[in-house]
Amino acid sequence: MDSHLLGWLAVTLYLAAEAYAILSLVRPRVPALPGTLLIGAGLFLQFGDLEIRARALHSVPYRTIGGSLSLFGWMLGLSYLALLFRHRERAVGPFLLPFVIAFSALGLLLPQPAGLAGTDTRGAIFALHVTFAILAYAAFTFSFVLSLLYLIQKRQLRRVRTGLLFSRLPALDVIGRMNRTSVTIGLSVLGVSVLLGVIWAERVWSRLPDAKFGAALITLVVYGFLLWKDRRGWVGERVALLSILGFALILFSYTFVNLYFSAEHAFR
Amino acid sequence: MSISQEAQLALLGWSFRGAGVSVRERVAFTADEIRDALTTLLSRGLISEGVIVSTCHRSEIYSLVSDEGARTRLTLFVSEWRGLDPAELEGSCFFRAGADAARHLFRVAAGLDSLALGESEVLGQVRQALSLARESGSTRAVMHRLFESAVAAGKRVRAETEIARHPLSVSSIGFELARKVFADLSKRQVLVIGAGETSSLFARHAVEAGVREPVIVNRTASRAEELAASIHGRAAAWEDLADELPLADVVVSATSSPEPLVTRAAVEAAMRERRGRPMLFLDLAVPRDIAPDVSQVYNAFSYSLNDLEEVAKENRARRAREVPVAEKIVEEELESYLAWLGNLSVVPTVTEWRRRLEELRDLELERAPAVERERLRGLLDAFSARILHEPMKRLKGEEDPARKLDRVEAVRHLFNLDRE
Repeated sequence: MDSHLLGWLAVTLYLAAEAYAILSLVRPRVPALPGTLLIGAGLFLQFGDLEIRARALHSVPYRTIGGSLSLFGWMLGLSYLALLFRHRERAVGPFLLPFVIAFSALGLLLPQPAGLAGTDTRGAIFALHVTFAILAYAAFTFSFVLSLLYLIQKRQLRRVRTGLLFSRLPALDVIGRMNRTSVTIGLSVLGVSVLLGVIWAERVWSRLPDAKFGAALITLVVYGFLLWKDRRGWVGERVALLSILGFALILFSYTFVNLYFSAEHAFR
Repeated sequence: MSISQEAQLALLGWSFRGAGVSVRERVAFTADEIRDALTTLLSRGLISEGVIVSTCHRSEIYSLVSDEGARTRLTLFVSEWRGLDPAELEGSCFFRAGADAARHLFRVAAGLDSLALGESEVLGQVRQALSLARESGSTRAVMHRLFESAVAAGKRVRAETEIARHPLSVSSIGFELARKVFADLSKRQVLVIGAGETSSLFARHAVEAGVREPVIVNRTASRAEELAASIHGRAAAWEDLADELPLADVVVSATSSPEPLVTRAAVEAAMRERRGRPMLFLDLAVPRDIAPDVSQVYNAFSYSLNDLEEVAKENRARRAREVPVAEKIVEEELESYLAWLGNLSVVPTVTEWRRRLEELRDLELERAPAVERERLRGLLDAFSARILHEPMKRLKGEEDPARKLDRVEAVRHLFNLDRE
C-alpha cells in the first residue's frame, strides 16, 4: 500500500474535524462526538502511515524532516484529543487543528529519504531522544496556541467586547492553567530528550552535540524562566508573550539551526 | 381555529403591552386565587377547560369555551371577581381566539412576548400555571396538550437559539465577565463595598452564582453586618478595606462616595501581595468608586456602570437577532399542536375510525377463501355498523365540549388513529 494514502486520508479527516470545530464554535450545541471521532480516526490512520515509514527505513521514521513533521502533527493531534477528554474544552480546536493539518501535510509533501537508515539512527536511545524532542515541540506549540487565545480573550475583556469569541473561548484562568500544564510537560520531556541526546552523541560521535544542542538548551532556559516567572507575578499576558517567544525559538531551531548549523544532527 | 362547532380556544389577558401597572396589579392572581377562580369559572359553566397564567407582566386566562361570547363573559367575571370597572378592564385587555390564542401562549413560553426578550423565568411560570390548573381540575386533553406543547416550544427555542444566552441585567453581565476571568467563582473571594440596594442585590446575586461568604464593607458597620447575615457572608470594618483588598478576586462597589474609594496605588499594593493574580472590579457607583486608572494596573480588569450598560444594549440586539429563528420554531410547534387539535373534531375521527375498521376487515378477508369473501364482507360491514352505531351516537350527542374532546381523544388513542 502507498504509505502516503493513509497520511493523506488522515489529513482529510483533520480538515473535516477543523470544519466541524468551526461549526461547533459558531453553534456550541452541536454534539462533540463527531469531531472527536474524526480526529481519532485521523490519528489512527496517521499512525499507520508512520508505522509503514518506520518499517521501510528499519528505523524511527522521523530521522527526516518530513517524518519528524508528520510525528509533530500526530502528537499535536493526540495532545488535543487528550485535552478534549480532560477539559471538554472544544473552543481550542479551531485554532490548534490548523497546526496539526499543516505539520501533517508538510510531512507528506517534503521529500522522503531513499534506502535504509544509517546505523547511527537505530536503537532505543535515538528513538526516544527524537520522540521526546518532538513531543516537547508539540507541547510548546500547544502552549503557543493557548497563549494566542489568552491574548485574544484578554483583549476582549479589556475592550469589553462580548461577542462570539468572547463567549466561546475559555476563561483566562482556564487557558492559563492549560498553558502551564503544556509548558510543564514540554519542559520535562525536552529535558529527558536532551539528556538522551547527550548519551547518544557520546556513543555515536564521541563528543557533545552541536548547535542544535545549544538551541535546545536555550529553549529549556526560556520555558524554565517562563514557569518560574509564572509563579512570581507574571501570571497572564507576560507569560503568554514569553511562550510565543519560546515558540519562535523552536521554529528557528527547526529551520535555520536544523538546516544550516547542524551537519550530522539534522532532520533532512 | 375552531376545534369543532361547539368548542374553541379563547384567551383574555392583560399584559405590559396594553395594560399599565395600575391595572396589572389589580388583575394579578396569587396561586390560591388562581385555584379559586378556575373552580368558579368551571362551576358557573363559563368555561369547559381553563388555565390562568399570572406574572408581574401579565395575567392571562386561557379557556376552552363553547360559544362566541367568551370575551364579554370572562371580562365580566374578572370585573366581578376583583370589583373593577368592566369598562376599564375592557379598554386595557386583549382577546385572542383559536390558533391566535395558542400562538400567543407559545410565544409567551418562548420568551418572545417578554419585556426582557428571551427571559427564562416565564417558562417556569407557564409550567406552574398548568400545574395549578391540574390541581383545580380545570384541564383536560386540550389545555393539557396546549400547555405541554407550549413548554416544549419554549424549551426548543432556548436550546436551538441564543435568545437566552446573552445576559441583560447589569449584575448578570458583571458575573459573566468575572467568569471569563476566573471560570469557577465558587472558589473566589468577592468583596462588596457598600450595603445599599445595589450592593445588596449584587451580593445576593454573587451567592446565587456560587460565591461562598462574600465580604461586605460599609461605612455603617451595622448595615454591613445585617447584609452579611442575610446572605451568609462576612462583614468587615470600613477601616479594614485596604487589608481586604488583596484577598479579593472580585470587587463590587456601589456607594454614594463623592471620591473614588479604590485608587490605583491601593490596587498596585494589593497586586504585589497577590503576586499578580488577576482582580476584577465592578463599579456600579455614580460618581465612580473605583479610580478609572485602576484598569491600567497589570491584570486588573475594571468595569464601570456605563461599560456594563453598553454590554446590556449589545446583548439585547444579539437576542433580537435570534427572533426569526425562534418564531420559526414556535410556528413548527404550533402547527404540530393544531394538527393534533384538528384531528379531535368528531367528523374526521369517525371517518378515520371507519377507515381503520375497513382496513382490519380487508386484512381478515385476505385470509378467507376467495369464494367466501363477498359474503363475508357484507357480514363484517353489518357487524361493524352495529358495533359503531352506539359509540358514534354517544360521541356526537355529547353536549359538554371538553368531555366530547376527551372522548374523541380516547377513541383516537385506543384505535391508534394517529398511527403512533
